[in-house]
Order: sequence, then structure tokens, then C-alpha cells
Amino acid sequence: MHTRTRTPRIRRALSIAAAIGAIIITAGCSGGLGGGGGTGGSSDGPIKIGMLAPFSGSESAFGNYMKNGAQLAIDEINAKGGVDGRKLELEVQDDACDATTSVAAANKLVTDGVVASVGGYCSGATLPTLPIFNEAKIPMVIPAANSNELVKQKLPGVFLINGTGTQQAAAAVKYAQKSGAKTVAAINDATAYSKDLADSFAQQAKDAGLTVDFNAVITPGENDYSAVATQLANAKPDLVYWTGYYQEGGLIVRQSTDAGFEGTFLVGDGSVDAKFAQIAGKGYTEHVLGTFTQTPDMLKGADKWIADYKKLAGADPGPYSTQAYDAVNVVAEAMATAKGTDFDKVVKALEGLKDFKTLGGPLTFMPDHTRSGGGFVIVSIDPSSGQFVLKDDLQG
Amino acid sequence: MQLIWNGLIVGSFYALVALGYSMVYGIIKLLNFAHGDIYMLGAFTGFATLSAFGISNETSIPLLLVIMLLSMVTTGLIGVGIERIAYRPLRKSPRLAVLITAIGVSFTLEYAVRQIFGPNPEAFPVRLESNGFAFAGMRITAAQIVLVVIAAGLMLVLAHIVERTRSGRAMRAIALDPQGAQLMGINVNRVIATVFFIGSALAGAAGVMAGAYYGSIDFLMGFIIGLKAFTAAVIGGIGNLYGAMLGGLLLGLLESFGSAWFGGEWRDVFSFAFLILFLTFKPTGLLGARVVERM
Amino acid sequence: MSRSQTRADAALRAPSPLFDRPAAPAGILNSNKGFLRALGTLAVVLLAVLPFINATPYLMSIATSALIYVMLAMGLNVVVGYAGLLDLGYIAFFAVGAYISGIFTTVLGWPMWAALPMTIVACIVAGIIIGAPTLRLRSDYLAIVTLGFGEIIRITANNLQITGGPSGIHGIPTWSFGDWSFSDGFTLFGLEFPQRVVFYYFVAAVVVLVGVVGAGRLAKGKMGRAWKAVRDDEDAAEAMGINTYIAKITAYIIGAVWAGIAGQLMATHLSAISPNSFQFLYSALILMSVVLGGMGSTPGVIIGALFVSLAPELLREFSEWRFLIFGVLLVVVMLFRPAGLWPSTAILPWLKKLKPVPPPTAGFMAVPAASANEDLETVEGEETR
Repeated sequence: MHTRTRTPRIRRALSIAAAIGAIIITAGCSGGLGGGGGTGGSSDGPIKIGMLAPFSGSESAFGNYMKNGAQLAIDEINAKGGVDGRKLELEVQDDACDATTSVAAANKLVTDGVVASVGGYCSGATLPTLPIFNEAKIPMVIPAANSNELVKQKLPGVFLINGTGTQQAAAAVKYAQKSGAKTVAAINDATAYSKDLADSFAQQAKDAGLTVDFNAVITPGENDYSAVATQLANAKPDLVYWTGYYQEGGLIVRQSTDAGFEGTFLVGDGSVDAKFAQIAGKGYTEHVLGTFTQTPDMLKGADKWIADYKKLAGADPGPYSTQAYDAVNVVAEAMATAKGTDFDKVVKALEGLKDFKTLGGPLTFMPDHTRSGGGFVIVSIDPSSGQFVLKDDLQG
Repeated sequence: MQLIWNGLIVGSFYALVALGYSMVYGIIKLLNFAHGDIYMLGAFTGFATLSAFGISNETSIPLLLVIMLLSMVTTGLIGVGIERIAYRPLRKSPRLAVLITAIGVSFTLEYAVRQIFGPNPEAFPVRLESNGFAFAGMRITAAQIVLVVIAAGLMLVLAHIVERTRSGRAMRAIALDPQGAQLMGINVNRVIATVFFIGSALAGAAGVMAGAYYGSIDFLMGFIIGLKAFTAAVIGGIGNLYGAMLGGLLLGLLESFGSAWFGGEWRDVFSFAFLILFLTFKPTGLLGARVVERM
Repeated sequence: MSRSQTRADAALRAPSPLFDRPAAPAGILNSNKGFLRALGTLAVVLLAVLPFINATPYLMSIATSALIYVMLAMGLNVVVGYAGLLDLGYIAFFAVGAYISGIFTTVLGWPMWAALPMTIVACIVAGIIIGAPTLRLRSDYLAIVTLGFGEIIRITANNLQITGGPSGIHGIPTWSFGDWSFSDGFTLFGLEFPQRVVFYYFVAAVVVLVGVVGAGRLAKGKMGRAWKAVRDDEDAAEAMGINTYIAKITAYIIGAVWAGIAGQLMATHLSAISPNSFQFLYSALILMSVVLGGMGSTPGVIIGALFVSLAPELLREFSEWRFLIFGVLLVVVMLFRPAGLWPSTAILPWLKKLKPVPPPTAGFMAVPAASANEDLETVEGEETR
């Protein structure tokens, strides 16, 4: 008894025919394989600059700082007439400090037609985007991520504004020697940037003849660091370098001081934030110093910048706001010199920058596309305000 | 020696949170995944209350106790609310469903707090003074003494409630046999709500104390504490309150020694490895009783 | 035998269940199976046609990610949906697959296809290591222990040198076969297929053939029935002679292998992996996609996976609210529709109205009047087909 009206063979043939038909019909669609439609930048109209930053997930605090810093720069440049007569536009996408999201976000930026990238906070999330931007011929000026892996890739369009870990560690070692420390130690929090920095510090300190007592690792996100505090109290190095962030740094300095540590507590730039003093508490910050790039409050006339930022963002600037601001200015300057957004010309202009004035100091890119000198200074904490202020610019 | 003391301090926090875990499991056989986030809520309600009054950077102990009581009541009520909304309707459902709901509640709490307070860690307005003195080769601070005293006090109160009062008897009855207890006239719903209240209040107290002792709170602090507390409860024997206390202190000690020997980055691995070892070889824990599965 | 003779014989013969029953309803609209098959064919056609509509890097990237996610969800569906084991550390297997393939291709220089068997072996081993001690535990304990294992794997990957530490591994090459690799692209009938499209087709083929069809076939077989028995009532299953431990471990290993393959594909897709992508959060998200879609149901899980992987992209403006919404959604779904969006036992709404077809009984009842038995009733008006 047949209850079916078509044999399976006929049905299969029909579906294959339908598929082929669909392919033929859609082959003409633009944006598809057969169609035209490209994502090339046009030569007039606004210049789109893309930025990847974390807005969700574990590092979401930093996304807004970077976005607002960049937006401030964009508004200022547009007020002065833009670049080459064209206005700048910022497109921000969330990379959630995660490789999958950042790859999708980078592809989105490419598809939306950006001609330069000024984002990049987590090195782990930025690394996968390098080949994507490179293939699309988009130069990258990275304000925050500074893992050596980024540099090792040697891609033509990648430039780092943040001093590398090596340079920062060098500044720390220089200060250690200057202050007469003989024994040092390092603590990192097992994240990419922090570990890089601590390892580099330990290596350079050893090369400089200092004794490295230990290079400890802690787990971030917890509250109890009594183990490392005890370690510090027992080993008693003259200087310890903490390369992680302020959340843990404040707790560690407090607990280790309680445990009896009396040496200098030097922190890396991830901990240089007013909240560090808050978390550490009153009376725990006298022996705390930090390595940092020059910030607005250290420059003359920086109050105006901070006020402008506050007006735009409605909040105080935070870590990497200034670097993002600088990144946009650097890109704009390069595009003005290159008179356009052509990849090769912009890259050449970036390489040719000499002592370009940025909030982080005069900027020249070295042949490996990192910033010359790094521009690191030593900061200390002002007891009354809890802010980090300049102590030693290491030029002497 | 210092390691031992450090371990005991951390262990007290674990013990307080593990108690709530154990109590809830004992009575409705549910692992409340969101329990660690109640701890976080305790810290944040304390923070919010203090900030509302404009207090910051204080060190007084009476103020701390007041805030702790307030937080305990608040988190207790929140715990009861969660039970009412998310767990009671699913009491007859398979366990998988309730567990998944608990995960959903945990996420909701964490990210709601993030939306309200922001992702950055906040400094807790009341900090305990940390003048230390040396004793038997260890550095002990006043803050730690206060902490241990409060934790011990809370645990004593709990023990009294469970052993001596009617509610406590009711709880133990329901843990043994829910239907039998109902037949004997115990209002199961009310008792379960009480258990949630007490458990959450303890976690909230631990949260406030952690805020005061360590000084910094953030929306994800509950997650890892929840896991450690569960480990502590398992080590001590889940469902057994004294086991939870013992397990908490033991876990603190283990972690203290573990991170000293292997390095701080392996600390969590150490704790979880212990959990797995215990569950493989002694799933009933140190003080737990053998539970016969009834068909 | 003449036709009338056979018909007369048929009248006397009792209806045999095997030969005389009416055929099951078939066809796209009349049967569940037909509908699902048609839907599946439609989905495959859409997959094939997608790059012709839009082949921008963004769409290809999220489409590839979504497909890999579907593979992950199918794997977890085997563990949670079929066998009923709540695994909160599933992302660990994903990590194992990604890291093994990453290490073999970057550090040892093997081609990607050669790393595939290593990935599978590593995942089987990992599945056994993690599953053996824990599968004897009850569901609540199992959940937390698997979570613990997930964290152990993540922290280990974060701390070891060979896994690149916190920076992870980057520069993972794409698949190459001999001289030709995906990055060279592919030209057919004058149409140029760039790398991302070739890779997209490759992933689609693997996911559909191995992931979806493979898992479905397993579920329908003997193992699948064993899993369902274990999930419904473990003690009864044990009593019926099913080795529940073997069944559970097999489910676990299959889930692990699925996740490992997905991990290898993801490593190629991203060309860089880091421990940050393997937090508990992402395990929970995969679980959510399985739960939201419908535990144990293939179309449900696919929909759930597509939702969880594409929603963050479509709702990029609300990225800050993402996890809060997911948490609330999970609670709401478990309270009001715990079986998920497309439950495994779902009956399509229009099929509910079809009346069941009664078997033919008129044949043997209509005995000729000339027969001796007058007590036999002649049932008239019975429906015949």
C-alpha cells in the first residue's frame, strides 16, 4: 500500500536541484562570493578608526577609560577641522578580554570599514587580532597591551604605545640600583603582562648584579595573601616589585607590612591608581613606589585635560585613558603626514615620527615599533590624597 | 607556625560559609550554588549601608558589629527570598533542574551587583586595625583576634540553636525524613525558610568580616569562596555542622601549607585536588555518617 | 492462487500485526521525523548557500564560531542531555583539544591533520582521568567536582611553560594537506574562495557530519538507549543488566572527544588561544545553551547553541548586560519550561490534532452469513483503509 506520493529518489533529486538553484540565484548577491561589494575605504567621508577594548567580563573596568580617552582626542581633532579636511569617527567594539570575542569584533571592524585600530588592552585577546588587521591592511597603534609576543610577530603595521615590559623592568632595576638596594624580589599574578614584567625584572636585576630572593606568583581575585606576605617578611629583600594590578597590590602591601616587611614596595603600572592607596589603607603607603609613564597630573597644564575628560565622560580618567588619547593623536598625525589612509604611507609616517608630543612624553618609534625609552618614571604616593605623584624621573 | 595561624584565619571564613552550605544540603539535599554569592552580598550590603551614611575609613569594632548584624538580617532575608522564588517551586523536580537554577541565581546575583556597583573593587569603609604583636613565633594582629572571636561566637550560637531549640530539632528531623517530619506536624516550609535564613546570615556575616579584614570587595569574590566552602563542607562531611566547621579550618591549613610549598599560583589546584581525593576515597567526609540510599 | 481466493483466505486469517497494520504516517507535515528531516535539509542548504549571500570577514567569522559552538553543545548534550550527568567543567576538554593541537602544530611543527588523532587520544585520556573517579558520585557532587577539574586544567594551562603560560599559544597555522593549505584559497568555476570561506565550509562539514549526525546516530543506537535508561533511573537500569559505569564513562568520553575536535577547530579559527577563554563562565554558557534548547533534543540544542553564540554578537550594544540576562533567563526557563525550547519529547503542534488510526478489524469480523456461528456479531460500519 503506497501512502507516499513521491518516491524518496525523486524527493532527493528535487532538494539537490533546489540547492543548486539557490546557489545560482544568490551568486550574484553583493558581499557574497560571486558578487562585487568590498570593504575598501572610500577616499572622502569620515575616517573610521576602530578600537577594541574590554567592556564585559573580568577586565571590563578598563574599557570605558580607554574609550573616553580616545573619544576626547577625536573630539579635539574634529574641532580643529579633522584630518585632511575629513572628520574622524570612532567605532568601539567589545573584546571581553577573550580571544573568540575579539576575533569576531576585529572582523566586525574590518567589515565596517575602519582604516586604523587604536585598541588593544589584553594581550591574550589582542594577539589573535593581529593577523586579521594585517590581512586587511589596517595599521594598529596599541595603547595598552604590551606583551613581548606582540612585538615578536614583527608585523609591519603594529605599533605599541605602552612601553614594553622589558623597558619598564629596566626602569625598575635602574631605580633599585639608584636607591642602593642589594636584594630584590618580584611578585606577579600569573597573567600575561604581569608575568612578563616580573620575569624581565628578575633577569635584568640578576644581570645587574643584584640578588634576586624570589619570584613569587599569587592567584588574583582572592583576598588572602598571607603566604606571600610571610615569604616577604622572612626573606626581607630591600625592594620587592609587584607587577600585577591594584586590587591585589593594595592587599599585598597591607598584609606584608603587617607581617613585618619593611623594604621598598615597588609596583608596576597596573597598580598605579588612586584606588591602590584606598585598598591598602592609611599608613601603609609610605614605602610604596611605582614605575609609570608620565601622566597628565605630572605634566604642566594637565589639569585642563583632566577637566575635559571629566566633562566628556562624567567620571575620572583611569589607567590607559591617556594612552588611548595618545594613540588617536599618533594615528591622526601619521594620516595627516601621509595625506590619506593608505596603509604603506601611514606605516611609513608612523615610523618616521620623531619626538611627537604625547601625554606620555616625546614619542619616537624604534625599528621594532616599540616606543623608544619607554618613558618610565618613578612615582610615589602622596599621603594626603592617595594619588601617585612624580618622585624621580630617572633621567639623572 | 605562622602558616598554621594564617591557615586558621582563612579557615574561619571558609567554615562560616561552609556551615550554610552544609545546613541547606542537610535539609533539602540541594547544593546551593549561589551561597558564595550571598557572602558577596553581605559584604556589599554592608558597603552600601556605610556609604549611604557617608562613613569611610573607620576602625571601630562596635560599628563593625552593628553593620554585621544589619547585613546578617538583610542577607538572611535575601536567602529566604531566593528559596521562595527559585527553589521552592522546584522541590519536586529532578535534582538537575534545581542545580541549574542555582547556577542561574548565582549568575544573576553576581552580575546584578556588577551592574549596580560597577566592576571595580571597592574599599570597605570599616577597616580593622592591624597592630600586631609577636607571640610564639607568629605575628598576630588585633584584627585577627577579633575575627576569630566573632567567628567562634557565631558558631557557638548556631550549635546552640541546632542542638537545644525546637527549631533545631525540627531541622534535624526534616534532614532525617522529610515526610515523617511533616506527618509529625512540623511546618516544613517554615523550617526550610529558617534554615536558609540562618545559613545566609552566617555567610553574610563572613562577607562583612572579610570586607573589614581584607579591605577590598568585588562582585566576583563569592564565586571562589563558594567553591572552597563546598570543598570544606565535603571534607568535613556534608550535612554535618561540626564537620563543616572542622572542614573549613582544615582546608585553610591545607591551603596555607600548600601555597607555601608549591607556590601561590597552584593554590586553587591544591584545594580542588583535595576535594577530588576526598570524594574519591572518603565521600562521606571526616565526620560524615554513612548514608543508606533508600530505594 | 486467484485473487478472490486470497481475499477469502484473508477474511479468515487473523490480522497479523507485522504485515497488516497500516503504514505509519509519513511526509513532511504528517510526521515528526519527516518534518525534522526536511528542516535539517533546509538548514544544510542554508549553510551551503550562506557565503554566496554574504562572505564578509565578520559574518564568516561569527558563522564559523557559531558552528564550532554547535559542535560543543552537541557534545555536552550527550553528557547532560542523554546520560543526565551534570558536567560543569566541560570547557576543560575544549581546552585540551585546543592546547594539544596548538602545541603539536607550533612547538612540534606537525601539520594540523596529523594533530587530530593526538587530540582525540588526549581527550579520551582526559575523559577517563576525570571521569573514572567522579562518575560514581551523585549528580550534585559530580557537578562541583567537574567544575573543580575545569579550573585545575585552566590554572595548569596558565602556569606551564609549554602551554605558553598566561599569554597562551599564538601563530597556530591553518589546515594544510601536503603543499596546499587553506590560506591559499581555492578557485572553482571562476569564483574565488578565500581562506575564511574554505575554512567555513570545512567546519560546517565536520560539524554537521561528525557532530550532529554522529551524535544523533549514537543516541539512536544501543548506547543511546543505555544512556536514557541510566538517566531516567540508574538503579533500575543497573537491575536490567546495563553496566551503568561503562555507559556513563562512554558518554563522558564521547563528550570529551566532541569538545576536543571543537577545540582544535577553534584553535585554527582564532590562530591563538589563551587560558582566559576557558573559565568556568564559558562552561556555564555551553550548559545554558543545552538547557535552553532542550536537553537531549538535537534541534533544540542546535537552536540553543546558535542563540548563545550569536546573541552576544547581535546585541553588542548590551554587552554589559549579557551575563545578567543569561542568568535570569536560565532561572526563568528552569522555572517555567524546564524541558527547554524544543524538548526531546516534543510533538509538533499540528500533529497533536491527528487522530490515531485504528487497526483494521473489519476483515475478520465480517464472516459470511452462511457460517454456522450465529452468535458472532457482524460489526458494520467499521472503518477500513
